[in-house]
Parts: sequence; structure tokens; C-alpha cells
Amino acid sequence: MSGAAVRHWRAQRISALGLIPLMLWLVESLLAHLGEDRVQIQAWLGQPIPAALAAALIGVTFFHLALGVRVVLEDYVHTPGRLAAALIANRVACWTLALVALAAVATLAFGF
Amino acid sequence: MTPAERPLSPHLQIYRPQLTSVLSITHRGTGLALGVGAIFFVWWLSGAAWSDACFNAAQAFWGSWLGKLFLLGWTFSLFYHLLNGVRHLLWDVGIGFDLRSTYRTGWTVVVCSVLLTVFAFGGGLYAWGSP
Repeated sequence: MSGAAVRHWRAQRISALGLIPLMLWLVESLLAHLGEDRVQIQAWLGQPIPAALAAALIGVTFFHLALGVRVVLEDYVHTPGRLAAALIANRVACWTLALVALAAVATLAFGF
Repeated sequence: MTPAERPLSPHLQIYRPQLTSVLSITHRGTGLALGVGAIFFVWWLSGAAWSDACFNAAQAFWGSWLGKLFLLGWTFSLFYHLLNGVRHLLWDVGIGFDLRSTYRTGWTVVVCSVLLTVFAFGGGLYAWGSP
């Protein structure tokens, strides 16, 4: 497994770089669409560019979150069996949330 | 074989908190808080996509004082983790790694994330109050 730690380190940094513009876009968007009803949000995320940016934000966010939580678990969970279970739970949770969110964006973008 | 019960370093109980260590653990804490925020974001997004009831429940939560308190925490967490993350990325390429710079950039991150939180959250409350 040599190289796995380096890959983790690099993936964390690259996803962090990607999140800088995406998070600024998120803050700007949430402020711009504050208090809107469901129809207005559907109209906003029904446009191709906001939908694409939202999809990118979701993918990179949950990727970066999974990497970060993994490090926290490795630091604080000292029982090998529990650590293994926690690492799997982390991956399953991040994948599930990302896929649900991407399905929601796809629904909004393509109007299924 | 069960691992021996040894004390783990650093010994936080007897360790005097410093700006560097406090900012480090705050980076981790804000990262976890943003993870919780991401779950709420998926809840709201799912509502927008599939369910009036779910969307209205999420909107009602943001409107409550508890929801606003959460939003305030996430706003600060986002700006702090973003700015301190840039500080980490600069360290990774060897910039600002001496003690003096570390303290100066540390305080810059604290002041800027508080200011950005006040502007963004205050502006948001103002816009929400008078659409």
C-alpha cells in the first residue's frame, strides 16, 4: 500500500483548490436566492450552468469531506476493528449523500 | 493482542493552548461542522427536487432562531476553513512557515473570517428581512 498516503495528501490539496471558487460561488448563490420558494429554486437550478456548478460542488465537497473525516477517524479511533468499521461507514455515508444530491440536481436540471 | 494503555501525546491536559494549536483544532472542528452542514444542504436540495413537504420543512428550519444559529455557525466555519485552508496550501509550497509569519497569517485568518461572517450573515439577514 505504499503511496496511498501520498495519494490521500495530494487528493486533499487538489480538492481543496477546487473548492475555493466553488464555495465562493455557493455563498454568492445562497445570498442571491435567499428566501425563494421551491418554484424559484427549481427555475434557478434548471439552468445548465448553475446545475453544472452545483454538481461539481457536490462531487468535490463529498470527496474532500470523506478524506478529511478519514484522517479524524484515524487519529481518534484506536481499536482496529472499530476503525475499520468507521472508515467503511464514512465512505458509505459520503457516497450516499453525494449520489442523492447529484440525483436531486439531475432532477432539477432535466426535469424528470 | 490488545494495545497497551499508554498516554497519547501531545498531553492536552497539561499543554498551554497557543494560537497555532487552537487554530489547528478549529480547522478540524469547522471541517466537521461543514460536513454536518452538507447533510442539511442535501436535505434542502432533495426537497427542491422531489418534495414540497421536505422543502418547506427545510425553509422553515432556516427561518427559526435555531436554524439561523446553525447558519451563522456554518457561515463562520466556511470562511474560516476556506481562509485557513489557503494558509495550509501556502505552507505546503513553503510560504509563511516561520513562526512570525505563522502568527501573522493566523491572526489575519481569524480577523478576516469574522469580518466576512459579519458581512455575509448580516447582509443575508438584511436581504431576507426586506426582499
